[in-house]
Amino acid sequence: MAEPAYLGEFEHLLLLAVLRLGDGASGPDIARELEQRAGRTVSRGHLYTSLDRLEDKGLLRWKAVAGAAAREGLPRRLYTVTPGGLAALRSARDVLRRMWRGLDGVLKEPAS
Amino acid sequence: MTTPPRFARWLLDRALPDDVRGDTIRGDLLEEFRVRGAWWYWRHALSIVVRSRRFRRGRGREEKPSMVIESIWNDLKYAVRAYAKAPSFTLAVVATLALGIGASTAIFSMVNGILLQPLPLHDPGRLLYINEISPTGGRMTVSWPTFLDWVQRARTVESIADSREEPFTLTGVERARRIRGRRVTAGFLTVLDVHPALGRDLARDADRPNAPGEALVSDAFWRTALDADPHIVGRTLVLDNVAYSIVGVLPPEFVYIRPYDVFASMGPISGTAQLTERGNHSGFYAVGRLRPGVTVDAADGEFKAIAASLEREYPNTNAGVTARAERLADRVVADIRVTLLALFGAVGFLLLIACVNVANLLIARGAARQHELAVRAALGGGRLRLTLQMLVESTLISVVGGALGAAVAFWLLRALIAVAPDGTPRVESVRLDADALLFALASAAVCGLLFGLFPAFQASGVHGQHALVRARAAGASAGSHRLRRALMVVETALAIVLLTGAGLTMRTLQELTRLDTGFRVDHLLTMRVMLAGEQWSEPRRRSFSNDLGERVRAVPGVTKAALAYSLPIDGSQWNSVFVAADKPAPVRAETPSAAFSPVGVGYFDTLAMRVVRGRVFDARDSETAPLVVVINESLARRVWPGEDPVGKRLKQGWSDSRTPWREVVGVVGDVKFEGLTAETPMQVYVPLPQQPMRSVAIIVRTTAEPAAVTHAIEDVVRGIDKDLPLYSIRTMDEMLDASIARQRMSMVVFVVFAGVALVLASIGLYGVVAHGVTERTHEIGVRMALGAERRHVLALVVRQGLSMAVLGTVVGCAAALALSRSIEGLLFHVAPTDPATFAAVIVMLLGVATIACYVPAWRAARVDPTQALRAE
Repeated sequence: MAEPAYLGEFEHLLLLAVLRLGDGASGPDIARELEQRAGRTVSRGHLYTSLDRLEDKGLLRWKAVAGAAAREGLPRRLYTVTPGGLAALRSARDVLRRMWRGLDGVLKEPAS
Repeated sequence: MTTPPRFARWLLDRALPDDVRGDTIRGDLLEEFRVRGAWWYWRHALSIVVRSRRFRRGRGREEKPSMVIESIWNDLKYAVRAYAKAPSFTLAVVATLALGIGASTAIFSMVNGILLQPLPLHDPGRLLYINEISPTGGRMTVSWPTFLDWVQRARTVESIADSREEPFTLTGVERARRIRGRRVTAGFLTVLDVHPALGRDLARDADRPNAPGEALVSDAFWRTALDADPHIVGRTLVLDNVAYSIVGVLPPEFVYIRPYDVFASMGPISGTAQLTERGNHSGFYAVGRLRPGVTVDAADGEFKAIAASLEREYPNTNAGVTARAERLADRVVADIRVTLLALFGAVGFLLLIACVNVANLLIARGAARQHELAVRAALGGGRLRLTLQMLVESTLISVVGGALGAAVAFWLLRALIAVAPDGTPRVESVRLDADALLFALASAAVCGLLFGLFPAFQASGVHGQHALVRARAAGASAGSHRLRRALMVVETALAIVLLTGAGLTMRTLQELTRLDTGFRVDHLLTMRVMLAGEQWSEPRRRSFSNDLGERVRAVPGVTKAALAYSLPIDGSQWNSVFVAADKPAPVRAETPSAAFSPVGVGYFDTLAMRVVRGRVFDARDSETAPLVVVINESLARRVWPGEDPVGKRLKQGWSDSRTPWREVVGVVGDVKFEGLTAETPMQVYVPLPQQPMRSVAIIVRTTAEPAAVTHAIEDVVRGIDKDLPLYSIRTMDEMLDASIARQRMSMVVFVVFAGVALVLASIGLYGVVAHGVTERTHEIGVRMALGAERRHVLALVVRQGLSMAVLGTVVGCAAALALSRSIEGLLFHVAPTDPATFAAVIVMLLGVATIACYVPAWRAARVDPTQALRAE
């Protein structure tokens, strides 16, 4: 893990959502989090392919647990962010911070 | 809804891999579906389906495509862009394919599920249905002694069994009820090659008179009524007050024609006079299994030969009687075959129309793209390359149309099942038929390919430069335009055929519902009760009937009530020969036969039947009074033409039978007795007290909704005897509906098909005319510049369009007339050449065609001459 991976905007949001949800976030949880907090509705086709891509990049990992009756016993996938994922998030935040610096006056936003 | 949409789920299952990954996503969607609903499920399932490549393999990493794949991929992208550029064309083709494939697949699945499915029995081709034939050529059920002779003598069958439908009253349980039963001989399962899942088959000697009763129960009955008790064998069922011990449970998949709860052995009844009498044909028919290698004809011949020798041995009972063996499968669908073939024809016609429409659209597009193809050919596009491109394009649109067609079929089938008349048999077994879907898809695809390739060949066949010039001159499409006009004629003709079918079946249904039944149908409720067993002696049955009649009449909401053995529309189980006292005794084979109906006091009044002459039954016709009958008009006309039958005498049976003479006291009007379509038979009504029956129907006329008094009457009957279940509870309206269910279904199918055909034909016509207008904009402009008026242009275009429709109508009418024979069996009181129907159809089609032509014509008439000429 020399160079932290580059994150697309949606990937960025996904990783943050998984982090927010704490230990073991499922697909529907992540979608709900994105809806509520980021105001983004996302098609499940897009969601699951993006999660798979993050897994391929080594930023997410998952484990399968047994499902309840409401899902006809089908297993549930619980995602967690890997150390690589954390590194990528940190680096993305640093980039954003650097790019924001000095623009607060122009954009008339309260500094956070 | 608690389960997600089936079709969406099916698609999703195919899009996702069969591993933990796929399962977790399936589970997630299922869980969310419960909160967000079906619409959400569809949307997100589709979002996965369109990415199925990424889900199924590679997971984000695309493997490097080979050259061919890449070129096809490019063609595909190009095709998508080309279709997107012509959205109305694309929509027309896709809609046509979807409608054609969808409608024909749905109807075929319906017809197939209900009528066509083979008997779910082992080697059904070798199963025979054998019955006796009366001297007049009618089917008769098999008399028991004759069956026993068949068992002894028949060599062409390796096994043979006898059986009849026999509903039983099940008692000895908490609440007595009617169950669906079949009386069978010991060899029944052997013939069908079925083995009980639990226990054993009926004992070999179970048919012997007075052998202890044995019963086999169906899997469903075992599970629902017997709690799936694994130790059920040996327990006793009381059926019609006779004890039967359960010897076995049938396998779950076993069905014989229709579902039964129990199969009961012959022993308890095979010694009764009803069965031992050779002249009695008491509802049984035989089923046999052909020896391997023996033909049905050979078996038929053998049974006829046996019948001939029985005729010599027992001339008294068997004179003129023969037998017939046919394939069981043929017999089961015999009644419905005509409907089946007509609907099947309609399916074919609809699919043809869809194909013609697609061809039409593709040719139009091909002509329009002549120029583009010519350019590509001129720039070095090889024939193979261009053909491949066209192939990709037509395949793409066929696949899209087919997929949508599958969805249409899925929904349409649901709708059809929902509107299918109550009591349509086997509706629950109707599934989307994969073969039909495949067939419809394949024919549409072949059609798409054929006509999609047509422009490619045209384009690549000529020299590039030549085509370029010609295409510009707008002459290149003259040939294809002629072809399109010809196709349009064909399409109109096909639509006419379907419309005529729809018109005729609609007229038939109208005739049927308008038919005079001979009695007042509304506000009538009917139900039956069975007085089975020894404890129901004649006097007890008599007093029960009196008692019941009185108590039912006292129920609030009931204005009139009567008891009877048989009901109008429903028909009778008691048909018998009879002789008139004052007529010479006829030859045995020509003795007339009538439906005998024992009816209680108030029967004619309750049904509001017409009394033509004399009187009907009243309290004085008790069991001790002189024996009397009331006859119907048909009988009066046939037996005593021009005479007054009141005061004449007749008796049931042959002239030498020792049955008593009965005096005719009245004549009543004919009622529809066996369904709506059958001719009313000769009928003899007998006072119920003079002939107390075991099976009794209760008829009630009510002030309000008839079904509302059902519970009150049930209570009355239970008040008399708690072991008497009521069954066949139906209003007369329901009975009438059920009797014309078949006609209604064919009408619905034809009307749906004809509607689709009309829409497709008018779209097609519009397309051709509009295309013609576009091509002739220049010409029209010239005409108008030279002084032609709007209305002239309008007339010109409409006339040209209508000429196709008129020609198609002529061809279509000729075809419809030629096919009229095949639809004859579906019709009632309507000639297959009914002029009114034909006229209505022609007016309707030409009306729609005029509108379809008028719209583009109107556009043509608004051509601005200066604009049109400047375009050159």
